[in-house]
Amino acid sequence: MRRGFWPVAGWVYLGLLAVFSLLPMAWMLITSIKTQFAAIQFPPEWIPSHPTLDAYAELLSPSREIGRVFLRYLLNSLWVSTATTVLGVIVAVPAAYAFSRFRFPGRNLLFYAVLLRNMFPAVVFLMPLFIMMRWLGLVNTQFSLILTYLTFGLPLSIWLLKGFFDNIPIQLEQAARIDGASRFQAFLLVVMPLSSPGIIATAIYSFIQAWNEYVYALTFLNDDAKLTLPVGLQHFFTEYATNWPGLMAASFIMSVPVVAMFLVLQKYFVRALTDGAVKS
Amino acid sequence: MVRHRADYLYVAPAILVMGLVIAYPVWFTFYLSVFSTPPNLALEDKIFVGLDNYGRILGADSVREASLNTLVWTVASTGFAFVLGFGAALALNRPFRGRGLLRGTLLVPYVISAVAAAYVWRWLLHSDLGVISALAMASGLRSTPFNFLDNTDTVLASLIMVNVWKEFPFVMIMMLAGLQTVPDQLLRAAQVDGAGPWQRFWHITVPHLGNVSLVTILLLLAANFNGFTIPWVMTGGGPAGASEIWITQIYQLAFGRIRFGLASAYSVILFAVMMTMGYFYVRALVGKDRPS
Amino acid sequence: MAEVRLENVRKGYGEALAVDDLSLTIADGEFVALVGPSGCGKTTTLNMIAGLLELDGGEISIDGRRVNDLDPKDRDIAMVFQNYALYPNKSVRKNLAFPLQMRGMARGEIARRVDEAARMLDIGHLLERRPRELSGGQQQRVALGRALVREPKVFLMDEPLSNLDAKLRVQMRSELKRFHQDLKATIVYVTHDQLEAMTMADRMAVMHGGKLQQYDTPERVYAHPANAFVASFVGSPAMNLIPARLTETGIAGDGWQLALPPALLARARQAGSAGVLLGVRHGAIGLLPAATPGAVEARVLTVEPTGDITFLNLRLGESALVASAAPDRHFTPGQPLWLEFDMARLHLFDAASELAL
Repeated sequence: MRRGFWPVAGWVYLGLLAVFSLLPMAWMLITSIKTQFAAIQFPPEWIPSHPTLDAYAELLSPSREIGRVFLRYLLNSLWVSTATTVLGVIVAVPAAYAFSRFRFPGRNLLFYAVLLRNMFPAVVFLMPLFIMMRWLGLVNTQFSLILTYLTFGLPLSIWLLKGFFDNIPIQLEQAARIDGASRFQAFLLVVMPLSSPGIIATAIYSFIQAWNEYVYALTFLNDDAKLTLPVGLQHFFTEYATNWPGLMAASFIMSVPVVAMFLVLQKYFVRALTDGAVKS
Repeated sequence: MVRHRADYLYVAPAILVMGLVIAYPVWFTFYLSVFSTPPNLALEDKIFVGLDNYGRILGADSVREASLNTLVWTVASTGFAFVLGFGAALALNRPFRGRGLLRGTLLVPYVISAVAAAYVWRWLLHSDLGVISALAMASGLRSTPFNFLDNTDTVLASLIMVNVWKEFPFVMIMMLAGLQTVPDQLLRAAQVDGAGPWQRFWHITVPHLGNVSLVTILLLLAANFNGFTIPWVMTGGGPAGASEIWITQIYQLAFGRIRFGLASAYSVILFAVMMTMGYFYVRALVGKDRPS
Repeated sequence: MAEVRLENVRKGYGEALAVDDLSLTIADGEFVALVGPSGCGKTTTLNMIAGLLELDGGEISIDGRRVNDLDPKDRDIAMVFQNYALYPNKSVRKNLAFPLQMRGMARGEIARRVDEAARMLDIGHLLERRPRELSGGQQQRVALGRALVREPKVFLMDEPLSNLDAKLRVQMRSELKRFHQDLKATIVYVTHDQLEAMTMADRMAVMHGGKLQQYDTPERVYAHPANAFVASFVGSPAMNLIPARLTETGIAGDGWQLALPPALLARARQAGSAGVLLGVRHGAIGLLPAATPGAVEARVLTVEPTGDITFLNLRLGESALVASAAPDRHFTPGQPLWLEFDMARLHLFDAASELAL
């Protein structure tokens, strides 16, 4: 590229956008290493004069009241997200494989139904699901969340995995079948090993979705001990004061794993998110 | 030999789960929308009221105000996010050192949980202690702090800004992927034919991005129309209903006031609007498979 | 090794039939090429023999046993794919061993056979590599090796050479031929390249539009094409096909006429053809510098020297045709030439049915 107006404008634009993107994260981190007293100064200390990891220590020590609660939420979130992910992969892999490989009647109709799911407003589902969960005796259980996340995650998981399966030449399976494998063996011995990066990416994506989910968790759970992290954050708002360093530290702990996972697997997710829209 | 019947077995578990958790609720929402439900949710005591619930929703002043907010929130969030994200995609669509890192950086808002984002922004925009106000004052732009979220005139715009912050990376990666499908040869051919950068962009790049843009915008419209977490966590619809949108009203109606019948009617209305958008979304997706 | 027999095989995709009533017998130890343009049904046929596609009608038997309802793994066949279909996550050794493992063969026997196949194909030094670390030709050999180790009844090959560059393709062609001569294997070979079929096959089955056009040795298919399609498909450059009508003494086109031997003329008369296509290969056309009785006048359009032989594009009346000459002769575009046809190598096809007369 030659030097000129557009490249320079591009750099300036990207720079400003990067600041916009990262400013909240930066301030989250800075606030989290302040004391409560320092945090509520105005104008604020731009760089904490007495940085401290107290907020983190408090959150992570089981002996403190706040730590006990936080660690419980953390474990709850881990459990719900992991269960969702594992079940999701088990259900989505065969379905995605079928969508990728078989030409059965109704296949297209089914797939557009899957795509339409992207448009379904979560809040519309809240009431009937809430009543259904009540009827099944699942309200205020984490199983209600797992079931819901599983369902709402499936379409995208299937789509994502289908993309990975599509990229595995069908001749490999045919070769395996001629070499003496049954259809299932061909899938297990040839397709699965080749698609494991895709399956891992899909799994992590559904993990992140479940980890971040708020609306259903807010509605289905009311027992304080069962809350997941996103809902649990409200714990830092009391009638009298907000524990900003604690809230920021908790937000930070909650965000780090997903941001890290996403950035490491960026390539797969970007592909997954965009494939359907740009590929015909 | 494996016949088609067996093929369905692979899909069956997924269909079953989705049928249970998607099809049934849709039907049930329609069903509930013609009943008045008691606040203790004892559904055997519900009373059939025909289309009364719809009439009450459509006639309510608060719904009318929220409708305007919903429109502004949905359209403005989508528009700004699209422009911002498309710009980023264009700027990123050339090789340079650190491109991956920069793209990763710009993706952070998209990945972070909406709740954490909402809390952080609530803190950034705090009326007394907010760092945005502090920055504006420190640079001499203002002498007093902003009241971003406690002012009925600015609250919706503030929420839209946060929403745009969260969503522009999505546009960025969609459009970036779209840009990569623009055939290089065509661009070079145009360059040889004497087209300048701006003409190449307008005559070759833009036409190629039509479908991606359409799908991206529709997905954004849907996501924003259903956007709940940011307004709910940041303002809960306040102050004085100034940031109330359909979704927050439905939630408040259903789980604040436990009026499921009424809230269902409201949901059906929202659902109808969504499905209209969904129709165009599927058409956009299917349409590009066919030669036009 | 075994005989492969196809009887009235039919495969339909929607309205159009991909394979239409195909009957074909491939003898034990024979190398048969299924050849035709893309979409002619040759790959579909191969996939049905392999068991990767179900038949919609008819019967396939291998070694006297009906295999219609057998899984690919139970048909005792091996297949070489166009893109080789090597398992990318397995080493060459494991690729070769896979079909044997699938059949539960003892480890020692597997090792022995893998080594033997590797030696035979000269890929012993590649055994620990992954497919993506191999060149196209090496991948080709591994694919062949994977088919070989099993010692199957039938080898199926789906355009195995078409991903190779031209030079390597010629080399692999002769290797495949030697491979067949050494093993006396039954081979069904699919290709769109008539030259591959001509050079390698014992018999070639020319397919078009799902139908078998001609099934015979390459020499006979070349010398006696059954119809105008086969005539134009086999041989390069293609046989000239010139529309003409029957006259008292022979045939005539716009602005030219040609006397035919009485026997040939009688055959055409008998068939009652209104119009005919005159088929003549470039080698059967003599080029004379001056008007001669029995020769027809044509005009040179372009001259294409290739080194060994010079091709000429000519205009005869309203038709274009290709002739050839020795490289030392000189021609100028626009110059008139008189064509003398080798009557023994002339073909006539009915213009309507396109069948040979």
